[in-house]
Amino acid sequence: MNGWLAAACALVVGGLGPSLWGAARGTTGRRVVAQNMATLLLCLVLLLLAQGYGRPSYTDLALVVCVLGPAGTLVYIRLLGEEIEKHPPGARLLTPAVTIGAPATVVPLCVATGPGRAMAKLLVIGALLVAGGLVTTRALRRG
Amino acid sequence: MRSGAAAAAAEILLWWAALTALWAVLISAPDPLDLEIGTAAALLTAFAARAARRAAAR
Repeated sequence: MNGWLAAACALVVGGLGPSLWGAARGTTGRRVVAQNMATLLLCLVLLLLAQGYGRPSYTDLALVVCVLGPAGTLVYIRLLGEEIEKHPPGARLLTPAVTIGAPATVVPLCVATGPGRAMAKLLVIGALLVAGGLVTTRALRRG
Repeated sequence: MRSGAAAAAAEILLWWAALTALWAVLISAPDPLDLEIGTAAALLTAFAARAARRAAAR
């Protein structure tokens, strides 16, 4: 059990679990926000597990999640727009989670990986996470 | 009409270069065959990307 695995454990117990719980209950808007947060945290957990276990193939999973997660959220927002507008959800935690959580995970991983194509892949994933978070937060606010 | 075609060709070349670079970065070991296939797929995707951009901008 090293630091990466401990961080991944903390993210799963403290973040991913409550996000999945929130995605299962509550108003439609809250569920969509929780789904977005869950995919963001899942991507970060996969990156940490890739480093903790020494299995670089997990970063490919993180890449898929960071593309499909925000895209899925946008699809849900598009399809459930009217129901979300009835009870607008609070998305205050999303922006800090994206702007702080994503760099806080990607930068130490880049340092641990060292320069090269693996680090470029991590930076691409980080950029996609931030871009996806910004797009979905804006779409959620606009209803 | 002429400048339209040149702008379209330039945009497709730009997309092609960006997508090929992205492919080369994301695969773990750049085999020459991988790069060839990636370049061909990036060319097709460049057309789709330009169409998506124009559809989104409308």
